[in-house]
Amino acid sequence: MLSMPHLRIDVNTVLVEVMSTKDILESYDEIRDVRQINDDVFFISLFEKQFLLLLPSAEDPASEAEVWLFNDEFLDYPHVMLRECKLEKEQPFPEGTYRAVCLYEQESVVHSLFPYEEKITDCIDRLIEILSMNQLQRELEFHKEFMFYWNSQSAVIPKYHVYLQQDTAFAELDVYFGKNSIRLVDHCLVLSDLADREKGDKLWTHHLENEAYFIPVTDTREILPPHRGHKWTDKDLKNIVYGRQINHIDDYSFEKLKTLIPKSQNIILVFGMKMAQTMVTFAMKVKFRNGFGHTLIDKILNDIQDIEPLNTERKDYLWLCEQIGNDVGLNDKRILIAGAGSLGSYVSLELVKNGAKTIHIFDDDKLEEENILRWSCGGLGKGKNKALTLQLVLNLFHPEINTVAHCIKLDEKSLIESLSYSDMLVFTIGNSDEQLRFNRLLKEAKCSIPVFFVWLEEGGMFSHILYVNYQQKGCFECLYTNYDGVLVNNRASKNTEEKARNSIIRNGCGGTRAAYGTAILLRTTAALLDIIRDVENHVISQSTLFDVTPQGIEISNTNLHMERCCCCGSQR
Amino acid sequence: MKLKKQFADFYKEIRIDDEAHELKDKREILQSDIESKFPEILSQHDISINKTDIRMIDQGSYKYKTTIKDDVVDRDVAVMIPLDTSLNTDPRRIKGYLRDAINIPSRKVSIKEPCVRASYFEDGAERLHIDLPLYARDGSSVFLARGHEKGDKHGWEIADPDGLNDYLCERINGNDQLRRVICYIKKWRNEKYASSTNDHEVPPSIGLTLLACDCFSQQTSNEGDDDLLALQKTMKAIQDRFVCEYDKDGNLVHTISRSLPVVPYTDVFAKMKKSNSHMDVFYNLLTKAVESLTNAVNVESAHDAGIYVQNVLGSSFIIPPKDAVNASSQNRREHSFG
Repeated sequence: MLSMPHLRIDVNTVLVEVMSTKDILESYDEIRDVRQINDDVFFISLFEKQFLLLLPSAEDPASEAEVWLFNDEFLDYPHVMLRECKLEKEQPFPEGTYRAVCLYEQESVVHSLFPYEEKITDCIDRLIEILSMNQLQRELEFHKEFMFYWNSQSAVIPKYHVYLQQDTAFAELDVYFGKNSIRLVDHCLVLSDLADREKGDKLWTHHLENEAYFIPVTDTREILPPHRGHKWTDKDLKNIVYGRQINHIDDYSFEKLKTLIPKSQNIILVFGMKMAQTMVTFAMKVKFRNGFGHTLIDKILNDIQDIEPLNTERKDYLWLCEQIGNDVGLNDKRILIAGAGSLGSYVSLELVKNGAKTIHIFDDDKLEEENILRWSCGGLGKGKNKALTLQLVLNLFHPEINTVAHCIKLDEKSLIESLSYSDMLVFTIGNSDEQLRFNRLLKEAKCSIPVFFVWLEEGGMFSHILYVNYQQKGCFECLYTNYDGVLVNNRASKNTEEKARNSIIRNGCGGTRAAYGTAILLRTTAALLDIIRDVENHVISQSTLFDVTPQGIEISNTNLHMERCCCCGSQR
Repeated sequence: MKLKKQFADFYKEIRIDDEAHELKDKREILQSDIESKFPEILSQHDISINKTDIRMIDQGSYKYKTTIKDDVVDRDVAVMIPLDTSLNTDPRRIKGYLRDAINIPSRKVSIKEPCVRASYFEDGAERLHIDLPLYARDGSSVFLARGHEKGDKHGWEIADPDGLNDYLCERINGNDQLRRVICYIKKWRNEKYASSTNDHEVPPSIGLTLLACDCFSQQTSNEGDDDLLALQKTMKAIQDRFVCEYDKDGNLVHTISRSLPVVPYTDVFAKMKKSNSHMDVFYNLLTKAVESLTNAVNVESAHDAGIYVQNVLGSSFIIPPKDAVNASSQNRREHSFG
């Protein structure tokens, strides 16, 4: 059933609007036969097709004009929806079938800014543009909604969820059957939940007899999704893998197809196509007649019985990161975080949200109730080990996330061992003694990976991030060294003695806690993410100290490298 | 700079970077058939060559990377063999042996005037063909086998396929804008001669490529390559190469000549000149194209310029939206925060 807007405005206004609308429509040479159905609905003929035009509401500035194609089963233009709505006699509109014409990308235009008349001309202009498209333009428009068309042609259940390690090279996929979906997982990818059980039953079953392959499409020209009047056949598949004029796949994929000999009668092929602003991934089941012992390319060219589009959704972490514009550089980085307190909890959470998949967290401490307001996981894990709680929470994000909790205080041995399995170290511990100790150790070990020391000052105003490149001068101990080579208090501190003293809260049992809220945690974490990105992109290469304040982030004016530093300077 | 993106998209749309896998497979199989069967067939006619004596030479647009999308895929690969042309005076006979060497049911083989053609069909329609010009290396000279199978005119024509390749590669390789301009001009030719049935009335690719190399005008600014201006100036310079002369009936006609840069230095437009009307049509079409491109260069609006360029290059050239519409909708655009 169509939903029609109703104008509820004063009669005079309606008359003015209707008149002007008719004038507007009749001013188009392309439009024939303008017929008014009621106050806010017109029937128009355009390029020998009939359309129902529903005017925008004059009362609602955010409303837009709508267009429906009338009684036409065959038109296969992009943006003309596939489903039909049938109108019964009792409706005020002509009896028949209607297909919506999608004229606007979702939330792409601020409709409130358009004058009423311009909404109508804009709508008609867009409709004319759609109907006037040449073959290439139609192809480009179809590409924009490729997955809509693909999945509209396939059965709703089961859904095929694709997990890729990368999407630029041929890959073999493993097939796992679940209750309502099937997973196609890159052979090189480890998903942490594949062994999960529900009431004793395994949630995922690995079907070794199913063969599935991922093939990247390197040239998308002339590849149209299945649409009305164009169901995919073996010809479409052959055109992709064995194009006569255009190589749609690269030589590596083609060689793989020439050497692989399928063992089963049905295989699944997953294709990935990079379009202008998106990557589409679609899967199909290819049923062969027989002909065992032949290569995959031979079977595709000579032995296809049928192909079946599969309802496909891509699910891997790389894809999710790309969907929100994450820099995917962190995807393959293994990160060690020392300290899972307030700052460590925010940092680890955001690193994962920004693409990091493999994280080791060290902390032997338990979460105290007094600290939950500045603990990134809220009330979760009270009285429990902080690293363990973070592991549980982070691993729930996605089956590719591999967080490992080490419920111990990081020690020298663990730190040195970690250098063999880490690409980056982040210290989020407040204890200067420990940081100085680890700093020395990393210098002595000639640490070659980026190291970040992050700490907060009392009072919630100032925080600091020190990036250390141990191949060069400048280290954490430099900050505790004066020009004479004598150890002093952290020279980067901005707080006065008095301010520092006043920002301490005592717990009544001899312990103290620094006073600060979550604002400093959020801005320090955000600054750290930017600095990590710049280090990874080689924008920053030398050891650098950053000061983070409510006013912004800047390279500190505290002299970092001390010539007479006992760790990295002349007094080593 | 006007239409920079549209030209970039257009080139992406029409270009063929490399042999498609099917074409490569077929060429390799064909090459293998020639190497294994041609010496054997020749030996049956007292001509002795070894498999290793056969040289296959990449030719044409695939060699220069100026191939564009077309209805029929056309590949040129020369076959060169050592041969005493004074003993084997009739090249049609040797071309016949080459045909016999590759004649199998999966391909249709025919003898054309300058080559042997292997055509591949699907559902009754030609899918692609590979042209095999046959060259004889006789002493220090190379000769092209010319003549239809049953034609009267035939003979060994002195040639230098390697020299031609070197000449064109030297000019085109490393000059991406020239390569693109050649592709645009070939696309223009294909658009304007789409309904032609007679090969002689269509300007040959080698002719257009040589003229484009001669007349190319590189156009670059601090915004990058200006392909519109480069195309307009190059086509204008080609137009200026036409000369007016009277034909034997006293009619004023436009003609253009371009000799091969290597032996036999023949005019690549000679076949077109068999009819004055072919040359006139070529000139008139080129004049119209230059007019349209000049208008495109001169108008302010990118939309209007796009219309002019589309008239020349066809509907694959996408016209940008009207500036006013574009600005108006740009101002009212937004996106979802998700």
